[in-house]
Amino acid sequence: MTLDFSVLLRFQEALAVGLWTTIKLTLICVVLGCSLGFLVGLARTSPSIIVRGIASVYVEFFRGTPVLIQLFWIFFCLPLVLGVELSNLASGVIALTLYMGAITSETFRASLKSVGREQLDACIALGLPRHVQVVNVILPQAVLRAVPTLLSNCVSLFKESALVSAVGMADLMFVGQNISNNTARPVEVLTIVALIYFAIAFPLTRAVTLIEGRILKKLAI
Amino acid sequence: MTAASAPLVSIQSLHKSYGPHIQVLKGLDIEMKPGERVVVIGPSGGGKSTLLRVMMGLEKIDSGAITFGGKPYISSSDLAAKTVIDTEVRRSIGMVFQHYTLFPHLSVIQNLVLAPCKVRGEKKASALQRAQALLERFGLGAKANAFPAQLSGGQKQRVAIARALMLDPKLMLFDEVTSALDPELVAEVEQVILQLANQNLPMMIVTHDMWFAKNIASRVIFCAGGVVVEDGPPEQVLGAPREERTREFIDRVFHIKQ
Repeated sequence: MTLDFSVLLRFQEALAVGLWTTIKLTLICVVLGCSLGFLVGLARTSPSIIVRGIASVYVEFFRGTPVLIQLFWIFFCLPLVLGVELSNLASGVIALTLYMGAITSETFRASLKSVGREQLDACIALGLPRHVQVVNVILPQAVLRAVPTLLSNCVSLFKESALVSAVGMADLMFVGQNISNNTARPVEVLTIVALIYFAIAFPLTRAVTLIEGRILKKLAI
Repeated sequence: MTAASAPLVSIQSLHKSYGPHIQVLKGLDIEMKPGERVVVIGPSGGGKSTLLRVMMGLEKIDSGAITFGGKPYISSSDLAAKTVIDTEVRRSIGMVFQHYTLFPHLSVIQNLVLAPCKVRGEKKASALQRAQALLERFGLGAKANAFPAQLSGGQKQRVAIARALMLDPKLMLFDEVTSALDPELVAEVEQVILQLANQNLPMMIVTHDMWFAKNIASRVIFCAGGVVVEDGPPEQVLGAPREERTREFIDRVFHIKQ
């Protein structure tokens, strides 16, 4: 077998468009998913058992099933149940947002819990009203502690986003598969596509380690 | 009762337990007069820290009541088994903890101005000015913009004291504030507390440091098994205790120190 990576030169533009779609999709779902995860994380510490229950069922369901099935269910079944047409972009965004919401809610919940009792004691001793305790003391520390894990969650999402190619969304993976089919050069094409994913994900994971060290040092925990 | 001798704090028959089996305070009665510096000593688990935490409103009580300046601010309601706390009165009391409890995400000066700005609605500029002056007084002027993680234990504890003072407390509670410090850092914190004592700020101090207790106390209370065992001037309680249990404790502690 002789390898010929030059075939890919003809498809630079298509790959770039695919990559841009992947990045856009990831960014949209990071923003929506983190917001959802934050609210669900708060809901899971709610005093109301109903609110806690609903949040837990959602999180456990989406953490306990494959993302691919979630995606297929939303793409194929949700339109039948609701009687509406969902584009592959819409179902991709919905599925990945729900997935991201479930995993980041756990991140937020853990970081909220990690802000110790003694910080609350200090708030009470200073007479800080409840909303000040939450907004100025608890949340900033919780979010700061959540940042490294959230970044890892984002890297996971970036990689998982390749699944949307299965419902026909023209992301990097989808474009790669197409090129590979048309040129009959799967080794070269899929290797390069994998390297593109790696080139983006690897520096991000390194950054996570760096940022984690800095935050731990700052919070001295 | 004349105004001069009216108690600043009056603790009446205070009971507190953790769960059904651990009774920490078993009917504590203490009266503290204005200007007094009360040091509470006693064996671990004797209820000293719990007493301070209850006075700050950090713990629920089973029964009893505490008044401050004649106003009841902590009491138990039999109906709902709840502890009722008057937060307005409680704001006259400041507390410093063993483990500093500074806010790690805020700089030193931000730690100091948060409560005055948010609780009293003080203007930021005026709070910053007061905070800087207080830091200078405690030898921390250069650390205003540092973060807690960049400070030594002694510096952190001095910041924690300054933070509590920003609210002009009428009573300060110190809960084993030097216990977590390396020996060479203890003096700088005790110096700051002595400074406050010289200004006649009423304070209640829980400490294991008998030398500090001797230097600062106007009155010493020996607390063991959830009750007050002995209560009197430092010369008596630390020097010539009347109660057997106090004597045993003092002998043991001083023996270890020497």
